[in-house]
Amino acid sequence: MTDRSTPPNLPHLLAAFGTGALLTLMVLCNGTLAAHGSLLFASWVPHLTGSAVALALLFLLRPKRTQQKRPPIWAYLGGVSGGVTVMLTSATMNTALALSGTIALGLAGQVIFSLFADIRGLFGLPRQMPALREYISLALILAGSLILIFFGGSA
Amino acid sequence: MIIYALLALCAGLLVGLSRQINGRLALSTSAMESSFWNHLVGFLFISLIALLAGGLFASNPGQSPWWAYLGGPIGVIFIAAGSWLIPRIGAARTAIMIIAGQMTSGVVLDILRGASGDTAARVIGVLLILAGVWIAQSKPKQGVSRTKKTTNLDP
Repeated sequence: MTDRSTPPNLPHLLAAFGTGALLTLMVLCNGTLAAHGSLLFASWVPHLTGSAVALALLFLLRPKRTQQKRPPIWAYLGGVSGGVTVMLTSATMNTALALSGTIALGLAGQVIFSLFADIRGLFGLPRQMPALREYISLALILAGSLILIFFGGSA
Repeated sequence: MIIYALLALCAGLLVGLSRQINGRLALSTSAMESSFWNHLVGFLFISLIALLAGGLFASNPGQSPWWAYLGGPIGVIFIAAGSWLIPRIGAARTAIMIIAGQMTSGVVLDILRGASGDTAARVIGVLLILAGVWIAQSKPKQGVSRTKKTTNLDP
């Protein structure tokens, strides 16, 4: 458990950046499903197919378990949090917030939570203090994102 | 209005919470196993909501193009990648790099699909984001974080 911020690792950062690109494709797919069906359906289907694909990959790849000890039972409940997210966003999207406001506040929520999680080492993950450079990087990325959301016409 | 803004913010907090919990599960098992449980538990949860609220098959879900069903498999990789990254680079870096990747690729996708948008805003937004990514990956000067730790004035 480090108190200091771990040094940045370029391959890991690029992997996270690429993961974000995956999210764009996912939103495109699920958004298309929602355009023809309901928002509930557009969340239900990818969870169903995702379960099947993940199970198949588990059987094919057989990844090693990193610890013998069983994880706490709450560690299995990440999916509930994801399900509630869908319900919340479907409620706020149709208000004056619209999609852009929903996305912008969602980004803010993610950043607030993740900073707090790092500083406190929430849920048994390594604790780390974000350095000044991380706050600067974070401010630039958020500013750029907000410009894209509200003025770039991408929402 | 303020209540919806809070709900949208909560949706973002829950995205972070879900990633943190899945990361904890991956720490004891594997990234792919955490992705599997995330999808299965999410599927059961959404099914329960659908049973209670109904409307799962509203509209015409059958009319979606075939590729719209790829959101699930993409999501499997997305969740596994997040669970793998979060103990390695921290929650804040994971969140902000995913946001950077999502926003940048979103602009690329919009341009490819010919979606209208403000070019100047897109250029400024993407440049700010890339500057943030650049700062995040730049190596801190040696000893900086250490001196920072020891500058606390002793009584």
